[in-house]
Amino acid sequence: MELLLLLGILALAYAMVSAKRMSALIAGFKFQSGLLFVLTGLEGLYVVAAIVLLLKVILIPFFLFRILKQIKVDEQVGFVVNPMLSLLAGLFLTYLSFIFARNLFSGGELGLIIALAVSFAVMGMGAFIMIFRLKALTQIIGLLVIENGIFLLASTLTGGLPLIVEMAVFLDVFVSVIILGIFVYRINALFTGIDVDQLKGLRG
Amino acid sequence: MLRFILIILFAPLVSGFITRLKNNLRLRRGPSIFQPYYNLAKYFRKDEVVSQETSWIFRITPYLVFTATASAVFFTTSPGSLITLIFLFSFARFFLVLAGLDAASSFGGMGSSREMFISSFIEPVLFLSVAALWLSTNSMIASALAATALFLAALAETSRIPVDNQETHLELTMVHEAMLLEYSGRSLAILELAAQVKQLIFLMIIAGLIFNNLALLPVIAVLVALVELSLAKMRLFRVVDYIAFAGVLAVFSVVMSIVGAII
Amino acid sequence: MGWFLFDPLSLFFIVLILLISFPAFIYSLGYLKGHHTRFKNILTQLAMAAFVLSMILVVSVRQVFVFLIMWELMSLLSYFLILSDKDSPKSVEAGTIYLVMTHAGTAFLIMAFFLMYKVTGSFDFLVIKQALAGLPGHTKDMLFILLLIGFGTKAGIVPLHIWLPYAHPAAPSHISCLMSGVMIKTAIYGLLRFVFFMLGINALWWGGLVLGLAVVTCLVGVIYALIEQDIKTLLAYSSVENIGIILLGVGASMFLVKAGLPVLAVLALSAALYHLINHAVFKGLLFLGAGSIYRATGTRNIEKLGGLIKTMPWTALFFLIGAMAISALPPLNGFVSEWLTLVALFGGVLGLSSGFLKLFFCFCAAALALTGGLAAACFVKAFGIACLAKPRSQQAAAAKEVHWTMNFGAGFLALLTIALGLGAVWVFKLLAKIAGYTTGLDASAMNFSPGLFTLQPVGNISLSPVWLALLLLVIMGVVFILLNLVLGRSKVTTVPTWDCGYYKLTARNEYTATGFSKPFRLVLSFFLLPYQRSEKIKESFYHVKSFVYETNTKQVFNEYLYAPLVNFTFNLGRLAKNIQQGSVHIYLSYIFVALFLLLIFMGRF
Repeated sequence: MELLLLLGILALAYAMVSAKRMSALIAGFKFQSGLLFVLTGLEGLYVVAAIVLLLKVILIPFFLFRILKQIKVDEQVGFVVNPMLSLLAGLFLTYLSFIFARNLFSGGELGLIIALAVSFAVMGMGAFIMIFRLKALTQIIGLLVIENGIFLLASTLTGGLPLIVEMAVFLDVFVSVIILGIFVYRINALFTGIDVDQLKGLRG
Repeated sequence: MLRFILIILFAPLVSGFITRLKNNLRLRRGPSIFQPYYNLAKYFRKDEVVSQETSWIFRITPYLVFTATASAVFFTTSPGSLITLIFLFSFARFFLVLAGLDAASSFGGMGSSREMFISSFIEPVLFLSVAALWLSTNSMIASALAATALFLAALAETSRIPVDNQETHLELTMVHEAMLLEYSGRSLAILELAAQVKQLIFLMIIAGLIFNNLALLPVIAVLVALVELSLAKMRLFRVVDYIAFAGVLAVFSVVMSIVGAII
Repeated sequence: MGWFLFDPLSLFFIVLILLISFPAFIYSLGYLKGHHTRFKNILTQLAMAAFVLSMILVVSVRQVFVFLIMWELMSLLSYFLILSDKDSPKSVEAGTIYLVMTHAGTAFLIMAFFLMYKVTGSFDFLVIKQALAGLPGHTKDMLFILLLIGFGTKAGIVPLHIWLPYAHPAAPSHISCLMSGVMIKTAIYGLLRFVFFMLGINALWWGGLVLGLAVVTCLVGVIYALIEQDIKTLLAYSSVENIGIILLGVGASMFLVKAGLPVLAVLALSAALYHLINHAVFKGLLFLGAGSIYRATGTRNIEKLGGLIKTMPWTALFFLIGAMAISALPPLNGFVSEWLTLVALFGGVLGLSSGFLKLFFCFCAAALALTGGLAAACFVKAFGIACLAKPRSQQAAAAKEVHWTMNFGAGFLALLTIALGLGAVWVFKLLAKIAGYTTGLDASAMNFSPGLFTLQPVGNISLSPVWLALLLLVIMGVVFILLNLVLGRSKVTTVPTWDCGYYKLTARNEYTATGFSKPFRLVLSFFLLPYQRSEKIKESFYHVKSFVYETNTKQVFNEYLYAPLVNFTFNLGRLAKNIQQGSVHIYLSYIFVALFLLLIFMGRF
């Protein structure tokens, strides 16, 4: 059961990496968080699961969609690397994380290794989204995906971090998203567009 | 103590002697050898005229200069005490130069500038010659070289040709005289006497300490006169070459005395 | 764990610090009055008190780490004090140069201290001293070089001296007095403590190197002082020169310790210590005087001063005493310490065996004589042009005597100058003991003064400052009285200066400071590299309306040594700037690439 969920999370990560429209990205994130919710629930961490549901499945995607409607930009995700290549890169990242997970836990059980590998892969793909997409909103989503990966790692490997830490992390994520959202709005107002590459002039 | 009084009394005589000799060699009669005494007496009798720009330094300088120069007499006995003597002369010069600047005239300033310039470079020559004397007195070559270096330095310090002309009346060519330009009366007398005492002290050092024979003093005075006659006054910046030559001689004298000490 | 070390060496320096801080503090009461808000004045005074405290702690702590902290504190506090008189962008530039240079020096000190810790395993001075005794020669050599560079930057050894002419003039005058009089001496303390006391002299070339550097420092300092027209910059360069003279004594002592001539070594070090305290006193005095002049006239340029001896008699008198002391005029303290250093060098000439070494010491003595002569020329110019003759500007003509606290501070130091000169014998006895303790030689049997009033350092050379002073006074008194008795009081008429028939001489007919030092500028042009620019503004072909003449000298060390270094560093920075592309994506990729590489390097992949 967990394996299926993990595979689902991985597949959604691929979907996000090769998504062509922003609403697709946000939807992918929503579904991935949903799967994460189910997984955490299965692990027995009910409180944390509830928070995941609240924040990552309901509130944050709602907030992101709202921004999308407000700034009325072109729904195209600005590509530095085209979708096909991105997908290949995602696959390569998955391969690397498998090798890394295997070296890390050379004598462990397979389920754990797969969980580790998936979480590293998700983290890597979140980073990929941040680096190789031009729009500011995609960077927020990339950050959230990385956070998903970390969360996955924490809940499968260690049986969850202490509650306080989880609370703090969630608070951090929520607040960062709000702030980044505001920034995106401002960037849009200033530059008529959210192309982050236009910020190149801000250097010493 | 007696030495002290004798030196002060005889200093003008030496000066007069040199002047008379120079003139005789120029086939003229020249003034009497006691002329400096008559001059001093005349100055002492006259009133002083002091510039309104000057301060108390101008008034006190003649006494300071004379005191320092006269005190130097007590330090001519052995080579070691010559170091203090050089410092005392520097004391006298310091105040004389200040007095030259005090009157707010260009000539005084010029004389002060030139005097400091020449004397700054003469000091190492003096110290090196003193060092040579102090290190060893039994090496003939070292004594001769030190004597020559000291002689050249003495010519510079006592404002003789080829460094400075005591007989000039053109302010632009003066070095020592320019600083005395504003002085008159008693102060001028004291300053002139001080200059003559300094001259005598230098001659005494060369004759007495190097050759250990004070009777050579008139010989050196004659030498001074001959040098004054035969050379012309140098341009100020050529004096540097002159001092460099004296310096080289002094260095060689030190080397010779070191080597002499080893041999 | 002992925190403090109150041995003779540190007590000497503590006395020195307190001796100079007291008049500087009194002076500052008058100096700061009315020029800043009351709050800022109190803040500055507190900073100064902290500065003095930090210096006292520097010379008395026993742990290397605490020493370093106090050293840094001293540098930082002085930096803030320099900037407290922030009237121009020059102060900021001065502060920056000072900060950079002092930290460069501290970097070398840190290197030396770490090396010391590595080889001895302790931070305590006394423990290190024991442990350093058995170390191999090249470790000690390395330590010596690092310490020399580190302390040399603070002391002002050429070519590490460039911060001095910027920092000392920019600071308020009582701080300049403290910096020039005391702070650069703490660097000499560092050298004495770490090299003499702890390391022990290992090789002859140490002393030779210090002597060579000292000669260069002397000459460079005095040459630049000669051509300087800003009175405080002139004093700063003169401090460089005097540090050179102190180092002549220190270097000679290092050399003589290793050469096995203990009496002469103690003599040389005592002469250096004596010049150290003398310089602190008369340089402090000169800076306080310069500060009074600046307060009264608003300018530091001596070309615009003049006639101050009539409008500010006390300030001028104290400045004169300082100038006399620094030019080594008998019987003041500068004369005694320069005399002693000369005699120590001559003693070295006599005592050393190799002919080449004798010549080297002789050459050092000649260099000392030359700097003495040039320094006298420099201060004759400074005092003569600033204080004598006619005022050269409105500000100078309008000068009034300063607040009594400022003159009190200066007067205290002037009295101290005279006292240190006359009391030379007793001071020297104390210093010989301190020097003996520092070099580790037994100085109890060395007697440098046969009588109560005479110093007889070497052979048959002797000096008695008290008798000399008495002699001068007696002769002067006798002459004066004699003349007045025999000839009656002289009748003096006051008239204008002889003016060759052009009536109405103005201040423009006086000699200028630039003119006074022009012969030196010409003769030393191979080093000073002067350049001049002249421009004729003509109304017609034959009629020149005005003429502009500008002459300047190149700062050799700044242009040929430091400017290339600074340019090189900036170019490196420009190259490194290319990393900052401005694109968020590239920055993000930097992060992840770095993470990735870290994982690989940690062997975890």
